[in-house]
Amino acid sequence: MSGYRFDRLKIMVVDDNVHMRKVATTILRAFGVIQIQEAHDGGSAWKMLSEFNPDVVFLDWMMDGMSGFDFTKLVRTSPTSPNPYLPIIMLTGNSSIECVNAARDAGINEFLAKPVSVKSVMVRLTAVIEHPRPFVRTPTYFGPDRRRRANNEEYRGPERRADNGATGESLRTGS
Amino acid sequence: MDKQTPVEIFMPPNMLKAKVGGAGAGLDMGAVKRAEAAMINLKTEFNDWINADVANLTAARDDFVARPGDETRGTLYRASHDLKGQALTFEHPFIARIASSLCKLLDGSAEAPGSLIDAHVDGVRVLVRQNVKDNADPTTTALALELEARVSEALAAA
Repeated sequence: MSGYRFDRLKIMVVDDNVHMRKVATTILRAFGVIQIQEAHDGGSAWKMLSEFNPDVVFLDWMMDGMSGFDFTKLVRTSPTSPNPYLPIIMLTGNSSIECVNAARDAGINEFLAKPVSVKSVMVRLTAVIEHPRPFVRTPTYFGPDRRRRANNEEYRGPERRADNGATGESLRTGS
Repeated sequence: MDKQTPVEIFMPPNMLKAKVGGAGAGLDMGAVKRAEAAMINLKTEFNDWINADVANLTAARDDFVARPGDETRGTLYRASHDLKGQALTFEHPFIARIASSLCKLLDGSAEAPGSLIDAHVDGVRVLVRQNVKDNADPTTTALALELEARVSEALAAA
């Protein structure tokens, strides 16, 4: 047992379906999370964001009102975003490659396909705690590095490939 | 960033790890066991929830039939999409499968046949009424295969 202090976390659950929110919050409370804020769409989540200041967001993708895509873009790129680095775990019933790519391009950190299970929630939560992605800023994208799954996650040495999209000259690391 | 450096990669401080601590040795299995016990208690509510979601799908279908258009079609799509994702969580695999077929139909054809939409919605209603959860049930398997084949035909003709 790794013994995380989940009681110290503040988590926002954004889903337009009250039953799915209940499933997610039940799992999170059993993990020990005490401070959970629910929101029924991206718009209400955005309004609550500054005040609640969550550490992690579980976000449904397809919702009435503001979608998960639009919410994620706002969090990552709005000048008024309270935390552009906020870990966002996307929940969706659509695991098509198009949906995954759209979510990735919007700037989500982790992808959680329904059905929701206890273990899948724990795995994604542990991933954002233990293996946070580096962030990337380009003229057209700001968010977690989208390449991690494509590259060898275990490799920690210097990049040697010439075709990895960022050479020693063009790549800034640190901070 | 100058004009030669279009890509900037950096690692934000890991505030999350600092906040929750932990040995970092993998999944917190104690927390997993507590949550699985909580989910067993929650399952007593799953039937009520799936009934509510199916009622929502039926209402969306009725609304679409009464007032066909982009708005009502979108509502019907979202209701079927919700069911596709949630029915598996609520342990109704065939409802998820048929809802997925309905999503595919609505996604792929702007002129989806009304009778085929009805067949999906009515099939889901029967499954929830009869509480079919066995994902090897032969009758339900035949129903799902038939609906999926009809959707493929409709999409090919579109």
